[in-house]
Amino acid sequence: MSAIRVDAKVVMLGKESVGKTSLVERYVHHRFLVGPYQNTIGAAFVAKPIQVGEKVITLGIWDTAGSERYEAMSRIYYRGARAAIVCYDLTDSSSFQRARFWVKELQNCEEHCKIYLCGTKNDLVSGDRSLRQIDYHDAQDFAEEIGAQHFETSSKTGNNVDELFQKVAEDYNSSAFEYMTEETSVDLGQKKDSYFYSCCHNN
Amino acid sequence: MSQRTERRGIHVDQSDLLCKKGCGYYGNAAWQGLCSKCWREEYQRVRQKQIQDDWALAEKLQREEEAAYASSHGAQTQSHTQSTAPQTHPGHTSLGPFSKFEEKKTNEKTRKVTTVKKFFSPSSRTAPKKETQEVRTTSPSLSRHASFETDQVSKDFVDFLKNLQKPGREIHKQCRAFIVNMSGKKDLGADELSECVQDFYQSMADRLMSHYKGSSESVEQVMDQVEKYIMTRLYKSVFCPETTDDEKKDLATQKRIRALHWVTIQMLCVSMDEEIPEVSENVVKAITDIIEMDSKRVPRDKLGCITRCSKHIFSAIRITKNEPASADDFLPALIYIVLKANPPRLQSNIQYITRFCNPSRLMTGEDGYYFTNLCCAAAFIEKLDAQSLNLSPEEFERYMSGQASPRINSSDADWPGAGQTPDVVATNPVLAQLNHNLELLSSLNSRQETVMEAAQSLQADLLSWPQAVKREVQEILEKYPLQILPRTVSAIDANNMDNENLPPPLTPQVFAG
Ligand SMILES: Nc1nc2c(ncn2[C@@H]2O[C@H](COP(=O)(O)OP(=O)(O)O)[C@@H](O)[C@H]2O)c(=O)[nH]1
Ligand SMILES: [Mg+2]
Ligand SMILES: [Zn+2]
Repeated sequence: MSAIRVDAKVVMLGKESVGKTSLVERYVHHRFLVGPYQNTIGAAFVAKPIQVGEKVITLGIWDTAGSERYEAMSRIYYRGARAAIVCYDLTDSSSFQRARFWVKELQNCEEHCKIYLCGTKNDLVSGDRSLRQIDYHDAQDFAEEIGAQHFETSSKTGNNVDELFQKVAEDYNSSAFEYMTEETSVDLGQKKDSYFYSCCHNN
Repeated sequence: MSQRTERRGIHVDQSDLLCKKGCGYYGNAAWQGLCSKCWREEYQRVRQKQIQDDWALAEKLQREEEAAYASSHGAQTQSHTQSTAPQTHPGHTSLGPFSKFEEKKTNEKTRKVTTVKKFFSPSSRTAPKKETQEVRTTSPSLSRHASFETDQVSKDFVDFLKNLQKPGREIHKQCRAFIVNMSGKKDLGADELSECVQDFYQSMADRLMSHYKGSSESVEQVMDQVEKYIMTRLYKSVFCPETTDDEKKDLATQKRIRALHWVTIQMLCVSMDEEIPEVSENVVKAITDIIEMDSKRVPRDKLGCITRCSKHIFSAIRITKNEPASADDFLPALIYIVLKANPPRLQSNIQYITRFCNPSRLMTGEDGYYFTNLCCAAAFIEKLDAQSLNLSPEEFERYMSGQASPRINSSDADWPGAGQTPDVVATNPVLAQLNHNLELLSSLNSRQETVMEAAQSLQADLLSWPQAVKREVQEILEKYPLQILPRTVSAIDANNMDNENLPPPLTPQVFAG
């Protein structure tokens, strides 16, 4: 069981059929069709090495089940994620409401998780402007308000997809140093007042 | 103020309320009359002392082990022909006692003995060893397999560390000391135990990181071995500990899964067609893997079972759909497998992995992904209701109570391919048999009722028959009453008209004697 070592967990969130799975598939197939790391049996989890400057950062990309019947379980999914790609469909305003919900959830529960707001199916709205239901600037304003990066992508044409994941990897790389110095242990979602148990540090 | 206390007859001197250390703050009975600050310091001091004692003990054991280690190493190279079975191996006379640390009772006893001996008779250095060996001889053969496994793991660990030379020795020492330290912490809650182990992993990983100058690959490799060694030793005392309600949850989950036996693959919208032999083969393997998880001791090995199970599920889906499975296919399929397998001690295993697995593996990697999905599956099953299966609450109730069993119905439209081939008879053959038997029984029942009716009418007939006969007789009797006519006497021969036609009477013949 020697799976690839992964540096950071990236979780895909968003309403059913906004295009989370397509985004991952597009990204992975684009680069890994012939590569050695392709996960040939399924696209639910993908370990993806990305070149960042001198280094190689391996992202573990977690796709989530879209069906609403599993929505209550999503919190288990994003636990410990270092980045979340919150997707909404540019042609569906209700999906943007849903994205707002995910953002709030993440802000409450995962303070170390960086948020990437991603409007999907860009090809549809560039073909027919009337289909667009979420204004670019509205989404941009929201992203700034929550301190998130904002992208509009198309899994069909591949537009902006690489850029999105590249940004995720770069941000992780530059934040990794700060994170490592400020926090010395991994918090498993429990309180961290280990005053009484500090004995284990003894050496 | 003072009046009131006097009235109640309680005399409280202001100085009694103050911290016994005289720092000027108020003390508290719960902190043995100290203020919180002084109590903390005091506690820390006692704690520190205990740690130092543990440490001294660990070092002593370490020295002993190192001696044995060296001799075993020598023995090994000297005679290859000798039996190398772990139990007879010379090195294991000293490794033996340590393997007992995982056994709660033995362990406590050992610890008590060694600590007491250490405090009161520092000259008898060999005493603890003797004690544990005594315990060992009396231990039942039942534990032999377990201790064999533990010994093997220790041996592997030592072999692995030998290649690392000097840092290997240091790592060994740290791990050994940690296990000794942990053996004195049986009373801690599960979360605290977890914290101790996680802290140990963390400090070990930090040190390795600086030793290997940031090569995470090498660090991870060593950490895997450390986890294996430590958790094999600690397993018995920290898996499903009594301080938690893990066991209760296990039973609840098991019962719940049994109650949900009626849930079909279609209700969960799983894209696995078990009619295809290759698919059902994978399903069986997945079930076996998830059940096997309980038999492993090392968190990473348990994770390995989950991962193997998941890969079989992915294969089953891919074969069914003829395309790679996505997260949307995977989770429902995993739920289905868990329902079918009803894995032993599911909650305990999930908790154990969460508490004691190396977090970098659990949180980010592929194993972590499958593990997270298993957690979701368990949560889903726990909360499962009518809505989660697209059923009406009434239907759900009837299935749950066993009043009805689901037949193939309209919800099957979700099943991919249902359009072309409506597999109406795809029900469980046992269910089909059951239904057939039920039909037979109900027809038997109706026939029996007919027989019963007939019998009853026969009975009624039989009862009324004598009466009818009696009545008839009565009627006849009434109709034809018995008439007694006056008696008419007449000469017998009066009416004999033909007398003269009679032949002459026979004359008797006389025989002379
Ligand atoms: N035109 C277009 N369609 C898309 C795009 N991304 C996804 N889709 C379609 O949207 C539907 C849902 O996509 P999927 O990835 O399964 O969504 P998920 O439920 O979020 O995983 C599918 O029919 C996709 O073909 C896109 O970028 N452009
Ligand atoms: Mg999807
Ligand atoms: Zn004080």
